[in-house]
Amino acid sequence: MMNEELAYWLALAHVPNIKIKTKNEIIVRLFERNKTIIDFFQLDTSIWEKDFELNKTELELFIDAKKELPNYAFMVEDLLEQGYNILPITSSDYSPTLKKNLGRTYAPPVIYTKGNLQIMKEKSIAILGSQKVNNNSLQFADNVVKNASANHKIVVSGVANRIDKQVLDSVLKYKEQSIIVLPQGIATFQTGFKKHYKQIISGDVLVISTFYPKSTWSAQLAMQSNAIIYGLASEIYVADSNEEDGTWSKVMDNLRKGKTIYVRESNPKEKNANNILISKGGKAVDIFGKLNNTAGKEDDESQKTLFD
Amino acid sequence: MNRREAEKKLKTIFGFDHFYDEQWNTIDLLFQGKKVLLIEKTGFGKSLCFQFPATQFDGLTIIFSPLIALMRDQVKGLNEKGINAKYINSEQTPAENSQTIQDAIDGKLKILYIAPERQENQEWIKATRMMNLSMIVIDEAHTISVWGHDFRPAFRRIINLVKLLPQDLPVLATTATATKRVQEDIEKQISDDIQTIRGELIRDNFELYVIKVNYEDDKLLWLAENLSAIEGNGIIYTGTRANTEIYSRWLEFIGAKTTEYNAGLDANSRKEIENGLMNNEWKAVISTNALGMGIDKSDIRFIVHTQIPASPIHYYQEIGRAGRDGKPSKLILFYNSSKDENGIEEDYKLPKSFIDGGRPSLKNYIKVIEALKQEQLGERQIIKATNLKQTQVKVIRADLIEQGIVREVIYGRSKKYEYQFNAPELNSTSFDELRNLKLKELDSMLEYINISSSRMKFLCDYLGDDSHTEYKNCDNTTLDKLKINPKNETKEKLLEFRESYLPELSVESKYSKLVDGIASSYYGVSSVKNALYRSKHEDGGDFPDFLLRLTLKAFRKKYGQEQFDLIIYVPPTESGDLVKNFAEKLSQVLKIPISHNLIKTGVSKPQRVLKNGYLKKDNVAKKFTYSQPKEILGKSVVLFDDIFDSGATIIEIGSALSKFKVAKISPLVIARTVGGDI
Repeated sequence: MMNEELAYWLALAHVPNIKIKTKNEIIVRLFERNKTIIDFFQLDTSIWEKDFELNKTELELFIDAKKELPNYAFMVEDLLEQGYNILPITSSDYSPTLKKNLGRTYAPPVIYTKGNLQIMKEKSIAILGSQKVNNNSLQFADNVVKNASANHKIVVSGVANRIDKQVLDSVLKYKEQSIIVLPQGIATFQTGFKKHYKQIISGDVLVISTFYPKSTWSAQLAMQSNAIIYGLASEIYVADSNEEDGTWSKVMDNLRKGKTIYVRESNPKEKNANNILISKGGKAVDIFGKLNNTAGKEDDESQKTLFD
Repeated sequence: MNRREAEKKLKTIFGFDHFYDEQWNTIDLLFQGKKVLLIEKTGFGKSLCFQFPATQFDGLTIIFSPLIALMRDQVKGLNEKGINAKYINSEQTPAENSQTIQDAIDGKLKILYIAPERQENQEWIKATRMMNLSMIVIDEAHTISVWGHDFRPAFRRIINLVKLLPQDLPVLATTATATKRVQEDIEKQISDDIQTIRGELIRDNFELYVIKVNYEDDKLLWLAENLSAIEGNGIIYTGTRANTEIYSRWLEFIGAKTTEYNAGLDANSRKEIENGLMNNEWKAVISTNALGMGIDKSDIRFIVHTQIPASPIHYYQEIGRAGRDGKPSKLILFYNSSKDENGIEEDYKLPKSFIDGGRPSLKNYIKVIEALKQEQLGERQIIKATNLKQTQVKVIRADLIEQGIVREVIYGRSKKYEYQFNAPELNSTSFDELRNLKLKELDSMLEYINISSSRMKFLCDYLGDDSHTEYKNCDNTTLDKLKINPKNETKEKLLEFRESYLPELSVESKYSKLVDGIASSYYGVSSVKNALYRSKHEDGGDFPDFLLRLTLKAFRKKYGQEQFDLIIYVPPTESGDLVKNFAEKLSQVLKIPISHNLIKTGVSKPQRVLKNGYLKKDNVAKKFTYSQPKEILGKSVVLFDDIFDSGATIIEIGSALSKFKVAKISPLVIARTVGGDI
């Protein structure tokens, strides 16, 4: 993939009001026909309609996007100049885990990164928690990061809540590698880039955003970035969850899809819904992140492979 | 649109009947959404090749140009024709630039000129998201090639941009000076499918002369005796900023109306001089090569070079501004061929020193890299962290960005430089290659001096123009050679000038009681430099008496019969009592009481070990006070020091003493440096 395609990729990725699935279907069809994204934008709208099954509204949106190609060129130049990477879904550097976990329905057509791209190829874990975490949850997060470090797994984290802060502090403490997923555009993370500068230039941190580069934080983007954290992680640990927060719904969604989720078993005095999650299919783990002995034979088997 | 239709519109909008064939060929390709490189001599009408299509496209045409004067002239011309055009550059206020950007976003403009450096500006980048863009033009495209004679790092970003643009967006790159190698480099950088149109470069109205001299003074003498006899107005190029001042003062001294111009002048002064040049206010403007590129004046009748340019391409470019109206124009190049004790010709030294000093040492590159591995830094922070000169940091920064080792990242309103993960090792091979190329080009310039065949043919061949034509109009073909034979009376005048000419110290500010001061000499004058150096660094005793004579002369010339209450002097850092002793002698001769009460409040380093203005300023900040403030209350004082370099010490003392309500501080020094040559 040449840089000259990037403006076209951004035009596709940021066409408003079109589902990711529709965009990814276009990419798949181009791939199958051995065509590039540039070819797509040079096609007549009748071909867009016929071969790519775009409806009238979508056609108009893509016509507008085409007009903005020179504008995107300016943006791409600026981002590359500042050392950001722009990775289309067809790039060999794009995270295979993300592609596999989110599939064509949800995998973002373009991701923006800064740092060591190789980290995305490693096995990974993510630790999730609600806004109201207690000390047990924080200790749990620290323990899980320590285990991940010992087992050469990288840690995927957000930057939004107390669990994320604990995770990132533990990452630094155990000299672990991590992926930081942003709830905002990559060009608005200056404070974080300053904070993680040495980790980034030494190859220990990769920062990822899937949003329009200048987007500032919003609750909606924070929710969307959670999905990316799930998508980038090979294993998911829940430190703390209750039935009202975003973590709960995402975990339930993943459990329904049959994904293995490890949930810290909480003691009866804790005000969270961890044990309900376990009852709904989450794998119980203790404060050290080890599968709980009471969990039975099947879990003993899992314990052997947990940090492979 | 076919040619006939286009020429109808051309007549209506621009008032011309026809396009030249090469103009139309270029425009036709642009209408087809192609990328074109146009190499045509100055005065051909390259601008029309983008101005006309710009008026026909729906949206906005952006012209990246390094030439502020050209932007100004062309925008004025376009507006007079009713075409909505504006420019964005450092001459305008931020508010004016913002308004222009808004006009571009609102679709009120057809043409927008912009300096390539603006591509680093976030307001601009943000705005580009909202503009309806039709065409991109790169003016002076030779500046995008590192093999070109005037490579500008900011253009690297324009090239990156062009590569990212949609394939059917028309792009035009124009230049008057590109060798075949530079042409190929531009083609490679812009696009595989770029089409090049190259015209003839011969300027047959040029009269080319070379005058070899044996003494620097010969140049001044020849100009004094012959300048008024050359028809019209023109430009005299010097090799250094200091020489713009000296030549201008000399020519004024003998009665010629001249002024000096260099990049050290503020924007308003430069603009004023450029306007004055357009209106023939001066016989000649004495300038470094900062002037001329982009001046749209058709009747510059002569261009004199008192120092050889770095290459025949530089020379062709610089003389290219003369005679755009096609009338005869004189191009005179001086060359001092006298040799020093090492057999090196005098006028070879300056351009050679520019090549030698063009790139900092590798050690300094490593210093910057190591500093950036520790933390993100802005330019000023790098300068402070490394104790390097600003000019060196700029070169290093550009090279490190070019090699992908460092990136410039926007942090709010400031820029920081970041070391990159997986950065490649510093590659110095390309530096050596470029240095060798520059040396080769300088040798070619010497060849131009010494050839006995047609000078224009030499230049055209060098630039890759292989068209066949009759070459004449130079002192090797049809014209008589110009000779040096100064009259005694002119020589005496020059002596008189030398005696009376003194460097000024510009330190006056509304924030202190300092007024502009005077130096008895430039530091670079060998006898002065050697004497100061011996006393300061080789235990040579007090400053010799000839310096006292020079300094007294400077004092009398500048301050005349003005009354002073006190002489004070800058307290020493490492020179012991040299300055104090000298000040005492001045005090005795001038019969002005001396005071020893200007004192230091803390330790500072010798200013000469600090390589940039920021550190020099920090080094002396709040380091001075006056121990008997009442002594200077309402008094007029002479402030003496030995050497004036950045001016930071004098300015700091001026600020400290002003708090004690001194009435006036008049600086006096033995020598002033030029560009930090201490």
